Amino acid sequence: MKVSRRDLLAWSAGAAAALVATPVPWKLLDDTSIWSQNWKWIPQPSRGPMEVKHSACTLCPSGCGLRVRTAGGYLVGVAGLASHPVTGGALCPLAFAAHQLNWHPERLRTVRHRGVESSWDDARAAFVKACGEGPVIVIDGYPGRAASVVMEAFGNKRGEYRAFQGTEWKVLAPYTRWSGVPASDLGYDLENARTIVSFGAPLLDGWGIPGRFTRLWAKRSAGQNEPELRLIQIEDSLSRTATRAWRWIAVRPGTESALASGIARVLLEEKLVSTQAPLPDATVSEVALRTGLDISTIRELARMIVAQQPAMAISNNNAPSIAALNVVLGAVGERGGIVRRSRAAKSYQDAEAPISSARAVVLDASVPWSFIPKTDAEVFRFAAWNGGPTKADWLLPAPGFLEELSDVPTAPTASVETYAVAPAITQAPHTTRSCAAFLASADPSLTSAEKVIHKRCADLYRARVGALHSHQQVPVARLETDSQLEEQLWNGSVWVGEPASGESILCALKKWPADDADSPVDSHQSWSVPVMPALATKLYQESGLRESQGRIA
Amino acid sequence: MSARYGMVIDLDRCTGCGSCMVACAAENNVPALPQATARTGITPMLVRKASNGKEGNLRREAFIPILCMHCEHETPCVHVCPQQAVELDAATGIVMQMPQRCLGCRYCMTACPYHARYFNWWDPAWSAGMEKSLNPGVATRMRGVVEKCNFCHVRFHAAKEKAAAAGRREIDPADYIPACVEACPTGAIRFGNLSDPNDPVTQDARSANAFRLLARIGTEPKVYYKSNEEWVRRLAESGGQSDSPTHTTRIPAQQAEELHV
Repeated sequence: MKVSRRDLLAWSAGAAAALVATPVPWKLLDDTSIWSQNWKWIPQPSRGPMEVKHSACTLCPSGCGLRVRTAGGYLVGVAGLASHPVTGGALCPLAFAAHQLNWHPERLRTVRHRGVESSWDDARAAFVKACGEGPVIVIDGYPGRAASVVMEAFGNKRGEYRAFQGTEWKVLAPYTRWSGVPASDLGYDLENARTIVSFGAPLLDGWGIPGRFTRLWAKRSAGQNEPELRLIQIEDSLSRTATRAWRWIAVRPGTESALASGIARVLLEEKLVSTQAPLPDATVSEVALRTGLDISTIRELARMIVAQQPAMAISNNNAPSIAALNVVLGAVGERGGIVRRSRAAKSYQDAEAPISSARAVVLDASVPWSFIPKTDAEVFRFAAWNGGPTKADWLLPAPGFLEELSDVPTAPTASVETYAVAPAITQAPHTTRSCAAFLASADPSLTSAEKVIHKRCADLYRARVGALHSHQQVPVARLETDSQLEEQLWNGSVWVGEPASGESILCALKKWPADDADSPVDSHQSWSVPVMPALATKLYQESGLRESQGRIA
Repeated sequence: MSARYGMVIDLDRCTGCGSCMVACAAENNVPALPQATARTGITPMLVRKASNGKEGNLRREAFIPILCMHCEHETPCVHVCPQQAVELDAATGIVMQMPQRCLGCRYCMTACPYHARYFNWWDPAWSAGMEKSLNPGVATRMRGVVEKCNFCHVRFHAAKEKAAAAGRREIDPADYIPACVEACPTGAIRFGNLSDPNDPVTQDARSANAFRLLARIGTEPKVYYKSNEEWVRRLAESGGQSDSPTHTTRIPAQQAEELHV
């Protein structure tokens, strides 16, 4: 049979048409897709022995309990520690991706001197030279840690030690002014309060120790018409806290403190409280005009606040009239109010105080990136992450998340003293040095943070006060040795002191204070790391749930 | 007896913090890069915001976590998948997605009434070194496949292995808790076996103020919501869609109107 050109073409066309009806092209397409989708450079999870360790978060002073998973020495997962006596397993949303922070593109990997790559030897030489030429100011972001002891010793010896005053301390400043009790000794007894009036404080959105109030609210208030804990939110907009509060009172922006004066006036005029206090200058009708509320609403609000006692006001700024309202409510130094939790805390020079003379200023990694000391001195800034433009002369890479041994003293806003230890669980991928270790290298007479932690554990054991909390509660008095206490703290237990004794705090209020508050602080104040975990940034951006802060790359 | 895992999400307890979203993405190795949009990103657990449509001090808002509803009856995604890459697991009631079988036609995404499915538009990527922080229990997915919530199935496997090692046939419920449930600081998300009448979650699902999204279409979702607020319960008919501007592109116009109840 002779095959013509036409036959060949017809056969080829038929074969091509028939091929489509066979699985061959689809199989080829599928295989090509699979082959092209599984490149060898597509990241795969790390392999290695898995471990679960209990620790405390060191990214902000709250020190929430963590259950950390590691694989081959790398952090691969973070969850809340359910046995933690304060947070009970709750964390802030960012902590769930905190294990990615150490690999953030903005991680500081090398020493930089005025934008140019340098070395640790050069930095140390420059610092030693500066120390020989004049006083050095050391600024600490979370005072009270073991590392702070080293920094304080250095500062006292070579110049000055200063502490950065966090928002929580600033808010408590009026009580310190009136009573002389340092703000770092004060806390909020949320657990015993039955009415909380929040003046714009983001109580359900990261305020104080994330999880402490949200858990309390979930248990005693959420979804109840007549809750055991009444949360009244006074705020100009429908924030997350206002959304979930028992009552939301919408006021004109910036008039929260005026409303506090109005409430106090009603309480005093109508004798709804037994406290003696000077009457606020503004009348209720003047307050109504300013806040945009009706006079009857203000009067009703005042009665609502005292209907279920103890009642406490919580402010988002240092407005003295809101603090004075607490004095009127009898909530200062009382159960369910502002309590004195300790007598041990020290007062430090404020980091923001003017610097008269200094040859060098050293900023610890815990100092917020946004803080820029107003000085011409040489600035040595420790940081694990680069937060953008800076005026610091030296940028020194500090250990990141759970890369160094640290301890966690009592968190601001807490009503009882606590102590935890956060051991180094993973290694930094490059050379890092903490501020305390750097200072100790410049002055060998200083002790190390590890030795301070060891001494603190021994002191806690000797004091025989409080208990260690993990899955069970063990009074310190029942422990046999100090090393037993130290070992348990290293394994994630938390020491909790005795509850506040209800010591009265005498606030001498001679005249109703004028409003001179700072502007309200933003709701992310406790997150002091200049970047957010990449995953959180991405999810916030994609979901539109929150403003996305920080950068991925 | 086969289990029917499900959830009850108490919307009166949800503060919209987003912990569930972040914990879910971290547990399931959702890639941190590239930065995507609401349309192209992967959020197996997505917290949406809805309002009662009023303004001023009459405005009320609620946060609604949306995830795969694990529909029990005529599961839309299972029905439409040409590759049998989606399956309703008879033993657990979990709707499983098998990326190895998925050819990426996205028919299931179209069929899903809850917009709970996401497509991998790009190769998964992380910043240099960040792959060392991935969860070793979960494989990274390839480009071109659909993914969604699987009730942290890897945790179910781990619980089964633990039970088997202890010589038990049934898992201990305490061993199987999805990441979002574990992360929720207010206990708003509860997880349990809906086929067990004694499970507190089953009892919660039967409470008077419990509801399911788009119950009228009859897919029998195993994710229940509850709220004491009437206007929140009425959102059920709109599928709990958000009125957030970032999501309007995903919401059919008719449903977007229904949001303002």
